[in-house]
Amino acid sequence: MLDILREYWLLFLVGQYPNGPLGGLVATLLVAICGLGLALPCAMAIALGRISPYMPVRIAAAFVVHTVRGTPFLMVIFWSYFGLPILLGRPINGFVTLVGALVLYESAYLAEAIRAGIEALPRGQREAARALGLNYWQTMGLVILPQALFNALPSLLTQFVSLIKETSLGYVISVNEFTFAAAQVNNQLLTKPVQVFSILALTFFAVCFTLTQTARRLERIVARRRNGMAKDGEPTALLATEPTP
Amino acid sequence: MIFFESVDKFYGSHRCLTRITAHVAKGEVVVICGPSGSGKTTLIRTVNGLEPIRSGRIVVNGQDVHAPKADINRLRREIGFVFQQFNLFPHMTVLDNVSLAPRKLRGLPREQAEEEARALLARVGLAEKANVYPGQLSGGQSQRVAIARALAMSPPVILFDEPTSALDPEMVGEVLAVMRDLAGSGITMVCVTHEMGFAREVADRVWFMDSGVILEDASPEEFFVAPRHPRARRFLADLRHA
Amino acid sequence: MGYTLDFGAILSGEHLRWLISGLRLTLELTLSSWVLALVLGVILVLLRSSGIKPAEWFVTAYVEVHQNVPLLVQVLFWYFAVPELLPEAGRIWLNERNSEFLLVMLALSFCFAAYMSEALRSGMRAIPQTQHEAGRALGFGYLRTMQYVVIPQAARLAIPPLINYSLLLFKNTSLAMAIGVHELTTQTRQIENDTFRTFEAFTVSTVLYLMISFVIMAGGALLERRIKREGR
Ligand SMILES: Nc1ncnc2c1ncn2[C@@H]1O[C@H](COP(=O)(O)OP(=O)(O)O)[C@@H](O)[C@H]1O
Ligand SMILES: [Mg+2]
Repeated sequence: MLDILREYWLLFLVGQYPNGPLGGLVATLLVAICGLGLALPCAMAIALGRISPYMPVRIAAAFVVHTVRGTPFLMVIFWSYFGLPILLGRPINGFVTLVGALVLYESAYLAEAIRAGIEALPRGQREAARALGLNYWQTMGLVILPQALFNALPSLLTQFVSLIKETSLGYVISVNEFTFAAAQVNNQLLTKPVQVFSILALTFFAVCFTLTQTARRLERIVARRRNGMAKDGEPTALLATEPTP
Repeated sequence: MIFFESVDKFYGSHRCLTRITAHVAKGEVVVICGPSGSGKTTLIRTVNGLEPIRSGRIVVNGQDVHAPKADINRLRREIGFVFQQFNLFPHMTVLDNVSLAPRKLRGLPREQAEEEARALLARVGLAEKANVYPGQLSGGQSQRVAIARALAMSPPVILFDEPTSALDPEMVGEVLAVMRDLAGSGITMVCVTHEMGFAREVADRVWFMDSGVILEDASPEEFFVAPRHPRARRFLADLRHA
Repeated sequence: MGYTLDFGAILSGEHLRWLISGLRLTLELTLSSWVLALVLGVILVLLRSSGIKPAEWFVTAYVEVHQNVPLLVQVLFWYFAVPELLPEAGRIWLNERNSEFLLVMLALSFCFAAYMSEALRSGMRAIPQTQHEAGRALGFGYLRTMQYVVIPQAARLAIPPLINYSLLLFKNTSLAMAIGVHELTTQTRQIENDTFRTFEAFTVSTVLYLMISFVIMAGGALLERRIKREGR
């Protein structure tokens, strides 16, 4: 295993770069970060839509969320693969395809995490803000969302782990990311699948486990803060930070 | 009926019951009172083996509860226990809560167990709640169901741990009424409570505990009129002012 | 854009047969993996609460590994690496039958067993100790208290996450495409290659996926509503 690492560590890390496109673990992380960065604003919009006072907005947001949650991520990738070029009117590369699919898919999941964060806030918060004379957008932007995002921080981090894991599906449409790099190495060596795929799995494990542990620590911190603030008798709903494959 | 012989109990190095020796006769009603943290809950939980003890003996109905060979599950069927927080089973109807033990432990057929359970519910004034889930009951109703559940195996002994202190004041009366009724039925009763009116009225004896020791074991008349121990006097004075 | 939709080419003849066989394989894969995952999940929970330290460490490690490695990587590992780890006879046995289905089924089951065991465990941990005491005070032993009091309540709490994981399990059967199992996603790509009706092919299979997902979601919602009505 070590000799494989010694020989191919650069390919695992950055793919063909700088002689070819960037790939490997760095590409995986880059895709995941871009995906999260672009998905978060969409997710906030959808979350606000889910609790909007206007019924049609609520229905539309619920429709988006449930449709996405009901579709396999691989299907979303294919939609992005065939649909995005038509929408944008020009061909796109694998990275953009993958990021596009991640944004579409993860917006729905992140939105639910944010909504849970909002709904875990005591009703009094919104009422107090409205009683001060803040309008709807001020209430949301200044009072509700900052608290909700803080509460949702652990779930958001857990969801980021899911996002990293999902980038591996780029392999299926031959995006040069980490899993693809491993498959390439495997094809070159032919006789060492156990070692190659162990390297792949262990590296993913190291990255994701570190983040998962951080999310757990964050959850304890957030819970302490929340319990400190909550008044007697007010139920402190636990935030679901369930990991997903 | 219940004998405590030199019972010692520790939590880690903290000594919580110190050489308790006492006796409850058959059909007697004993009220235990004392300041918070004095070991009242711990003491009655040792009676049905919910808490282990370090040394000493507790004999209920002729059987040593903490003997290594004791069949604790069989013993517990003969000792009803009512918790401060009711601890009803939220996933079962009231009727199922009450009839569970007779059905599964005495092997009664469902109809017969339910008939008996309905009779018990009627006795605590809740016949009409048989098919409701515990989540829909008030505190006072929950505690009355819990009493019915504890009575379902017809135990000769029943233990209460502050049965009214989790209740809103207006619900205390209904639970005490059930307990008063029970006290007149000849069952042996040990009851941790600060309801001094109840103690004065139905208790045969009052035990005053402090720091893991029974400081006073007296008839209610003696205890309320002329408590011997200064700490008991202070305790009663504090209660009156509260 | 001058493109006219034509679902006819997909929803008839040979292509329709491909689609149906793909759908059938997806459902078979879902069901078999689900059953195995649940059984393994229960075993993991029991091991974890067994009080045997090495068993508890094993389960903890098992759960962390399966939750922190991408499922696709697990599928690839099962497909490429696990046969290499088997003795000669096992490899031959696998090669003689369509081992792809079996291997992806095992990958899905082993992975989702980790998630399901966590759902069950958090359900158990949410039942307060006092419920256990109340059962014991009535004279029930440890196992019977578990049976009548703790497990029924824990199972109710575990049902929402279990439904969620069932849905995710169903969706993730599409990963079988990566190793060439002819389930719905693979068949969709085949049809697309055969007809060049990309949009139509993916619309049809997306709708199929959605319909089944909605059945799972609706079933779950109904189940949860029924549980809420009863008590807690
Ligand atoms: N599970 C426990 N672990 C450690 N200490 C305990 C535990 N339960 C009770 N104690 C201690 O034992 C003492 C007696 O408690 P308890 O029997 O609950 O008193 P009471 O019911 O009279 O208020 C207290 O000092 C309490 O802090
Ligand atoms: Mg107490």
